[in-house]
Amino acid sequence: MTTQTQFSNWLLHAQLIVQRTGVVWLVVILLYAVSGLFSPGMFQVSQVLNILQVAAFLGVVATGQTLALLTGGIDLSVAGVVTMSNIVSTSIMAGRDGNMVMAVATCILLAATVGLINGLMITVIRVAPLIATLGVNSILFGAALVYTHGAPHGSISPGFAVFGQGHMTVFPVSTVCWLTVALTIAWVTRQTVFGRQLYAVGANTTAARMMGIPVRRIVIIAYILSSVMAVLGGLLLTSYIGSPSLGIGDQFLLSSIAATIVGGTALTGGMGSVIGTIGGALFITELNSFTTIVRVSTGTQFVLQGAVIALSVLLYRFVGLGRASS
Amino acid sequence: MEKKNESPHYSRRQAIKLGAAALGFSTVVRAFPGLADDVISKAKIVPTGETVSGAKYKKNGPFRIGFSNGFSGNTWRTECLYTVKKEAARHKDLADFIIVDGQGDIAKQVNDIENLVSQNVDAILCIPNSGSAVAPALRDATKQGIVTVPFNLPVDGEGWTAYTGTDPQKKGFELGKWLRGALGDSGKIVALGGLPGNSYTAAAWAGAQKAMEGSKIQVLAFRDASWEEDRAKVIMADLIAAYPEIEGVWCDGSQDAAGAMKALLGAKRPLVPVTGDDYNGLLKLYDQQKANYPKFDIGLVSEPSWESVVALRIALKLLRGEDVPKRQIIEPQLITSENYKNYLRPDLADGVFVDTDLSDDELKALFKS
Repeated sequence: MTTQTQFSNWLLHAQLIVQRTGVVWLVVILLYAVSGLFSPGMFQVSQVLNILQVAAFLGVVATGQTLALLTGGIDLSVAGVVTMSNIVSTSIMAGRDGNMVMAVATCILLAATVGLINGLMITVIRVAPLIATLGVNSILFGAALVYTHGAPHGSISPGFAVFGQGHMTVFPVSTVCWLTVALTIAWVTRQTVFGRQLYAVGANTTAARMMGIPVRRIVIIAYILSSVMAVLGGLLLTSYIGSPSLGIGDQFLLSSIAATIVGGTALTGGMGSVIGTIGGALFITELNSFTTIVRVSTGTQFVLQGAVIALSVLLYRFVGLGRASS
Repeated sequence: MEKKNESPHYSRRQAIKLGAAALGFSTVVRAFPGLADDVISKAKIVPTGETVSGAKYKKNGPFRIGFSNGFSGNTWRTECLYTVKKEAARHKDLADFIIVDGQGDIAKQVNDIENLVSQNVDAILCIPNSGSAVAPALRDATKQGIVTVPFNLPVDGEGWTAYTGTDPQKKGFELGKWLRGALGDSGKIVALGGLPGNSYTAAAWAGAQKAMEGSKIQVLAFRDASWEEDRAKVIMADLIAAYPEIEGVWCDGSQDAAGAMKALLGAKRPLVPVTGDDYNGLLKLYDQQKANYPKFDIGLVSEPSWESVVALRIALKLLRGEDVPKRQIIEPQLITSENYKNYLRPDLADGVFVDTDLSDDELKALFKS
């Protein structure tokens, strides 16, 4: 056997292992190891728990984004929904535990309405998802400005702080909430008729319609779930910080898409998984953490973040059918 | 909360006028009698540069004035807009006050300024998104005889009529000097700034570094935290993991400072000396936690939200034919553990910036708290 053949065999073998485990988990582990080499602080248990705690906010939002992408669409309104949940929840709660349920219920109801509007615009009026959700995002930001007059008020209640700041034994409560939500949605997408129809719609809408799948209903439900997930992520982040801020959701506009794509979901729809997105959210949070810790300038931070995301996507090319988790 | 809740602005203005005289500003005040009236808090206004002749811009009213605001959406801007609208309503010869919002977009702001010119305004006030990007648009407007008054963030060159605002480099220097003193000339610190790449933070941090030159202060890291509590908390949590010993935090805004302190609390680490501005959230946090953490200390330099009022008055003075200094640099007050209670507003929202000319009732109505 020539050296070239040996190398080819090794490459195929490596490809198979990566396909089985999912590329995203490989890059999560690789990045963690590299980060630890640069800063031993990354290996501390407290830092691992910190990353898990912070990843929860993005993780929940990206779980919803995954559903939108699986239909072949995109949800750019998640940023506005996160801001809305922060403004509305702190304003209703006003520091009192008695208002907590009302605040959460109002936010979820508003999110479901936003998701319904997104879904109807995309399926009934046939506006491109990118335009429809970007427009809704802008409306939500404007509505937050009108509602607050640019001066948000209120704060979370002491009981609500547990979700973003508390711990169950050693695990952050936010992480437990995230994994519960993500695993439930993962089960729904993999084990239910709705889940199979979701993939079918994303893979080929026309074929799905001809098969008798209620395409319109599936897409609308996906966008409602995406908005509700964004609100849940926003509520966790609100609980973490405790106060309102009009710019709080901006960070999720692109990071939720990056986490989903890095997690193996295709922008074209019908391919990907919520489990992969868990890895994607971990990866993006790890990357942010790493670039914060490593001694580089702000400019280099941005270059590093972009380069590492690009490299991770290149890895998918390397493994070919590497979206194994789908 | 002491006298400020009863009649804060009258007493502050009086105090400033007396203080300014004692400090030898009487000459300046004689040369520019309007300056003393423009000082609203305990800040000082220092004129620099040549005098701009009002005769060149004198017009008969009523006037049309435009305000190109770089973006809105944070509480400082909200107060700034509220107070300038209130001021505009006070002047009977100001017929039209048009506010346009650049939405954080450099190109949109340039377009906004051009639109104001085409609407035949007599003067343009501007908080630039970028000090270099708006410079050509303001220069063109100035050439057409329009009074242009950028404020808050300096604009490149001299192609504008007059400027007012704090000096970020000087502010950063003051904050750095205070932190150096609070740490006894040595210690390990981290620094948090505003939006990535913004020139205000760059100048402030340059000033801070100058203030710390020659000391044994070691800067572990400088990071941009976007003047958002949540971002600052997340970034600080990472820095805590990387650097077991953080003895001080330099910030040019107190949202960053509050986020950083909350991260230390979350990590069950003692709070440390921190710098920032006049954000009520940090003052409230300091008031709550200072007894629990003996090393917790604050050194804050305010960023007066009434800068917009000064800018509007400058524009009106020029249109009425009065002379003004080319630059009016606002030198705000240092807020420390000694005097913070004079500024703290425990019954108002965290988002309030306390160096304001708005009364508590107005702030309560604005923040609905």
